Parts: sequence; structure tokens; C-alpha cells
Amino acid sequence: MAAGKHFELISPGTKIDFIGRWKICVAISTLVIAIGLIGFWKPGVKLGVDFAGGTEMQVRFTGEGEVSDDPIRGVMQSLGIESDAVVRVGTGHEFLLKFRGERHIEAPAAEAAAPQEGGGEITAETDLIIRLQQELAKQIGPVEVVRVEFVGPKVGEELRDQGLAAIGISCLLLMVYIAFRFTPRFAPGAVVALVHDVAVTSAVWIVFGLEFDLRVLAALLAVLGYSLNDTIVVYDRIRENLELHTRIDLVEVLNRSVNETLSRTLLTGVTSIVAVGALLGIGGEVVRPFALAMLIGILVGTYSSIYIASPTLLWLERRRARGGAPRARAAAKA
Amino acid sequence: MRLRTRILAVAGLVIWFGWYAVGSFFPDAQRKAVWWLPDSAIRLGLDLRGGVHIVIGPDLEVAISHELSVIEDGLRRALERKNVTGTQFLASATELRVKPGASSDGAAIREALEDDQRVTQREEGGELVLTLTSEWTREVRERAMLQALEVLRRRIDDPQTGIPESVVTRQGQDRILIEIPGVDRVPDIFRKTGYLEFKIVQDMAPTEELLRAKHPDGLPPGTEIAVEKERKTERTIAAYLVPERADINGDFLTDAQVQFDNRLNEWQVSFTWNPEGGQIFGELTEKNLQKPLAIILDDHVYSAPVIRDRISRQGQITGRFSSEEARDLAVVLRAGALPIPVQIEEERTIGPALGQDSIRRGISASAVSLVLVIALTVGYYRLSGVYASVALLVNLVMLVGLMALFEGTLTMPGVAGLVLTVGMAVDANVIIFERIREELRSGRTPRASIAAGFQKAGRTILDANVTTMITALVLFEYGTGPIKGFAVTLAVGLLTSVFAALVVTRILYDVHPGSKPVADVSI
Repeated sequence: MAAGKHFELISPGTKIDFIGRWKICVAISTLVIAIGLIGFWKPGVKLGVDFAGGTEMQVRFTGEGEVSDDPIRGVMQSLGIESDAVVRVGTGHEFLLKFRGERHIEAPAAEAAAPQEGGGEITAETDLIIRLQQELAKQIGPVEVVRVEFVGPKVGEELRDQGLAAIGISCLLLMVYIAFRFTPRFAPGAVVALVHDVAVTSAVWIVFGLEFDLRVLAALLAVLGYSLNDTIVVYDRIRENLELHTRIDLVEVLNRSVNETLSRTLLTGVTSIVAVGALLGIGGEVVRPFALAMLIGILVGTYSSIYIASPTLLWLERRRARGGAPRARAAAKA
Repeated sequence: MRLRTRILAVAGLVIWFGWYAVGSFFPDAQRKAVWWLPDSAIRLGLDLRGGVHIVIGPDLEVAISHELSVIEDGLRRALERKNVTGTQFLASATELRVKPGASSDGAAIREALEDDQRVTQREEGGELVLTLTSEWTREVRERAMLQALEVLRRRIDDPQTGIPESVVTRQGQDRILIEIPGVDRVPDIFRKTGYLEFKIVQDMAPTEELLRAKHPDGLPPGTEIAVEKERKTERTIAAYLVPERADINGDFLTDAQVQFDNRLNEWQVSFTWNPEGGQIFGELTEKNLQKPLAIILDDHVYSAPVIRDRISRQGQITGRFSSEEARDLAVVLRAGALPIPVQIEEERTIGPALGQDSIRRGISASAVSLVLVIALTVGYYRLSGVYASVALLVNLVMLVGLMALFEGTLTMPGVAGLVLTVGMAVDANVIIFERIREELRSGRTPRASIAAGFQKAGRTILDANVTTMITALVLFEYGTGPIKGFAVTLAVGLLTSVFAALVVTRILYDVHPGSKPVADVSI
């Protein structure tokens, strides 16, 4: 077939030496993950309301005139609410309030009687959020609730544990699947790529001081699936090429496989990024963290299936070969 | 299968799912009115339609201490019958200590407890320490949970003021999930415990300080102060000296209704006692004529009218209510009190404006990504790209149709999953097309290349999609609320996209170039 007949991103004969660049790539990835780990210690991981507990309340003032954040802080202070942040969002009439505090629904008389004897104050409104809403309306002007996210400390802790468990269990199940579907020798390479993707995406998240919440967790899990999907397509080709070309050196087989699947890897990457990009640009603030984490994850996942998954396989094979008697040949006969 | 059969089968599926998909774009009422529209449709999650999602946790430890006090009462009565006196009881949250008045009483106490399977006993320094057995503890907690659920359900199902479409469900062992669409704050009927007490007022003063000043040596034993405040301003109206134990409580109520008193020009709640309650209340009011009776709900004195007459079956609660307040109070009284205190553990409220905004943005994002992805695919693969785009559209119709058929809930993360499906669904086609191109390059005929491409790509596509499916299932299992919606659209989207790529695209190739000997295939 004549060249140029198909519209091609990558021409068929392309032979880029991806495997040869493994040292640089491993260095870059290690560096990013290392920075992430340092960030884990020093500024620390920022947890959103979902995992840390607390309240995020977005309100819109519908009255005339400018509203600034100082009076809002004042109202919160007068209610004894410890405010973590008051941030103006969107059009200027909207504010995001972050604060802590427990929420009790009124207790039965029998239980509440005790503190009252000490002359404790009984307030008509016991719920923190509704009270804040009432006071804002009274002292500043008509106000509308856009969104409230409240997570109690117990639930926050549970969501955190469940989130970590979800990532752990996904990795485990994926490993089992790879080991079962391919030979167990392929599994470690895929898992390294997997852990790499989650680690690098998280590292970027930590370095830029972004908050982890349920949406980011969902994105990380989707990234796991996407990245492994990518890796499997490459591994499938490696398996096929190993069967076809038993004589060629393993490095050559790996390079050939990555090159042969390159246009698919890139094209799927591009359509996925286009879709996620639309979500990021148009989807609004509710899905923004998800879309951003997904975007980073797809980029990292595409990179890792080209530059990380196969070199890891090569490295593992060489180690295995070194353990056995002759060196390269044995590896090639995989 | 023959081509014609395959075409008919797929067309049938697409029309069927498409019918469901179309139905979801009509509002509920309209869909039910129009005969040709399906019954089921996609439900919108609270984050898209606006509403309150709260998880509350009943304090089950209180149920345990309640149970201990029930056991204490029983033991007291049993000892009274045996004429054993001087026994002291000391209850804590988890155990009941019984101290015999005389050392010889120990045997009598143990005898009184003999058939009680609810507690385990041990001796400690002459005291008998009672704790609930682990089975009974479970039983008590379970009972408290069921009661709390029942009370909350009765409140939302209330025929007069209940909230339609609200749902109260149990979440795990010790939580209750309440979903209320169309509101932007937790309604009052969920926030009241509903513990109603009536107490005869023994003394009163305009403020708590003045009342305390009247009793310089401290309050008489067994009494406490209850304060009546104006609810809006929280200004104290009066302070009352009342007994600690209620003279009668709301457990004996059978009904409560809102009524308007034309004479006083205000809203009231009238209530009806059951026979036993009527008798107690009758005696109480007869004995205390001309004394004020404090009506206390969840520690707030609503009013303290003076008893003019013996009242037995029916009475009114006054308290300068607005019509809504009176209505809510009636609902809470009808449904009964929550057996134990509850706490809000999680709340997710989305105002209706944000929900509308999210829907609009979700639709735009889906449309834009669809157009861009189709443009990319057609630009890259030409006619084959058109096939892939048709497959993508079929895929979306099936995804939406399946969601509607099973009345799935669409959330904003679910919309994100949909958009992601648009981006990733072409992957299967890309794998196939790349294979076909390779086969063409190796010199095969177009027809052979297409057949080989589909055959070789099949395994890879399956392998690659199982992985995303695994993470989607884990997310479904561990995710809560809206995040579950993401897992659902992602998982369903995977199934439909594999089907669309392998079956729909194949049919399109079989139609054109078909079996004709062609020189080339547009790919």
C-alpha cells in the first residue's frame, strides 16, 4: 500500500527507540513521585470536606449592592463558628464558606436536662447551618443556599478508609486479572505502571495544593482502569510478537510492539482528552476536580504505557535471566 | 448470523432503547399523559434536581442506658413486692450498680433477677453490677434503629404535610439516609425529636434570674427551671419551676390536628389522648385546677396556660404558632417521638438553581465532546470514521435507553461518566481500524483485512475493557451517593460501547463494502 493513502499520525514503519530512553523516563517519574512524597510530608496532603469532615456552604446574596467577605466573617464569629475560609466565587455575589462544627438535632428532654440546670442557654435554632443562614439573611441581606456539603468526623474517616480500600482492592483485582489473563510474568510490569500513574497523578495534585475528595478518588480509579487498558493493548501486542518472532532480541520486540500500537495509544488518548477537556471547560465547578484529575491521569497513563510499562517488563526479564544461566537469549524466548 | 437478521436485530434494539431514551427527555407528568411514551425513565439524582441528602446517626448508646433504666424500674417494683427496702441504684451509660440496703438482701435481689435473660451480673465490693448481654445489646440497638426509622417514615408519609417523593432508608447498621427533593434545607419535621411533656408549674417569674432569686437556698429537690422564649427573637417570656419528671408525656397521644382559633386569632394544635392518657390527664387537671400547665416540646416551653377545667380526652397546645409551625408540630406529634437522640452525620444539599445549571452544563459538555470526537474520528478514518461515529451514536442511545429502562439515577458524576464514555468508546473502533490498516499494509484484500482486523482486535478489546469494568465495579461497591452514578454510567457505557464497536461497525462494513470485490476500503 502506498504511503499517504491513510491519514496517519504515525507512519507504519516508525521505529522510535522508546525502550532505550528508559533511564531518562524512570528518572523523571521518580523525581515527580519523590517531590510528591516530600509534599506529603511538608505542606501535607489537602483533604476536602469528604475526607476531612467539616462544612462547605456556598451561598448567593440576591439583594442589591456589593457584599464583601468581612461582614460574613463577622456573622460567623458572632455565632461562634470557627471559619476556615470565606472565598468569593463566580459573579461576586456568591461566597464559599468553610467551617467546622458538629450538628445536633434536638435531643430528648431527658438527656438535655442536665446541662440546662447550670443555667445553659437554650436557643430556638440548634442547627448550625440553618442558624448561619438565618443570621446572614438578617444581618447582610436576602441569601440563597447554592450548595451545602457537610461531613461529620465519623463519616469523613470512613470515607477516607473506604477510598483507600477501593484503590487497594482495585489494584489487587487488576493484578489478579492480569496474572490470570496473561502469564504471571507480565503482571508486575502492569502493576508498576498502574501504581506509577496513581502516584504521579497524586503527586501533581499534592504539589499544586489541590484538595482530595470523592470526585478525585473516582477520577483516580477511572485512571487506573484507563491506564491498564492502555498497557494491556501494548502487552497484547508484545505477547503476539513474542510468539511470532522468537529469534529477535527482547528489546527489539518491545520497541516494535510499542511502535505498532503507538497510533492507537495516541488517538485514543486524544479523543479521551478532548472529551475530558470539554468536561473541564464546560462542565462547571461541580465536575472540575474530577475532569482535571482525569486529564492529568490520561496524560500520565498514556506516557506510562509507552515509557514505563515495557521497560519494567524488560528489567524484570533481565533480572530473571541473570538469576538463571544464559543471559539475553533466555529472556527473548519468553 | 445472516446479515439481514443482524440488521433487523440491531435496528430493533436501537428502536427499543431509543424509545426509552426519548421518553427520558419528557417531564414525568407529560410522559404519563402521552400514550406512546414509555413508563420508566431516567431519574435525576438530587444533585441535578436539587434537594437535601442527609445521613443521620441515632445515638444508640442512649438506647442502652434507656434499657438499663427500664430494668432498674422493674427491679425496684420486684423488690417492693418482696418488701426489700434501702436498695440503692446507680446507673451509668453501660452498667447498673445495685447496692443492697443490708447484706442479707443480696439473695433477694438475685432472686428477683433470676429469670432476667437480658443482663449478666457480677459482684464487685458488695455491689451487684448489671450489664446487658451482647445479644440483648444487639437487640436493643436494632429495636431503637427500627423505631427511629418508623418514626421518620411516618413523618414523611404524613398525608397532610408529608413530603412527596422523599425517601427514608436504612444505611448499614446504624445510619439512616433521608433524601428530600426540591428543598434547600433540612425540613423542620426531621429536626424535631418530638418529645412532648406536660408539667404542672409550681412557681414562675419573668426571668430565670428572678425565679432563682425566689429560691435562695436552691431549687426544691426534684424540680428544674424551664424557660419560655419568643421563638423569633429569643426574648425570655417567662421562667417556670417545674418537676424534673413529666406529669404526662406524648406517648399517650393518639392524634394531633392543626386548627385555627377565631376567638384568639391564632393557630393551635389540638391533640387527643388514648383512654389511659385521658384518665391520667383528667386526674392531673382535676387536682391542679387554676394552676398553669407547662407544655414542653423538646425542652422548649411552648406555652403554660392555666387549667380552667378538668380535661380528659382532648386539649389544645397554644404558643403563637405560625401556620407552618403548627402544621409541623402536628406532624411530629402524630408520628411520635424519636426514641433516641439523632445527629446529622452527613449532608449534601444542592439548591435548585445549581441543579439546573449542572444539567445544562452536562448536556453542553456531552454535545461538544460528541461533535469533537466525531470530527476527529471521521477526519482520521474517513468513511470508516463515519461507521465509528454511527456506532458511537448507537452506543449513546443504548446507554441512555438502558438507564431509562432500569430507572437508573443520573447524577452529575454520572454525566461525567457519560462524557468519558464518549471519549473512550471509540477506542474499540480505533483498535479494530488500526488492525485493518496493518492487514491492508501486509497486502491482504480489503475484505480479508476487515475480517482479520475484527477477529484479531476482539481479544484485545475484551481484555482492555474488563480492566475498566473492574474499577467501575469497585467504585460502585465503595462509592456513595452521586459517585455511584459515575460507576453506573461508566460500566453500562463499557458494555454498550463494546457491543457497538464489534456488532454495529461490523454490520456497516458488511453492507459496504460488503461482499463485492472492491479495490480499496476507506480507512
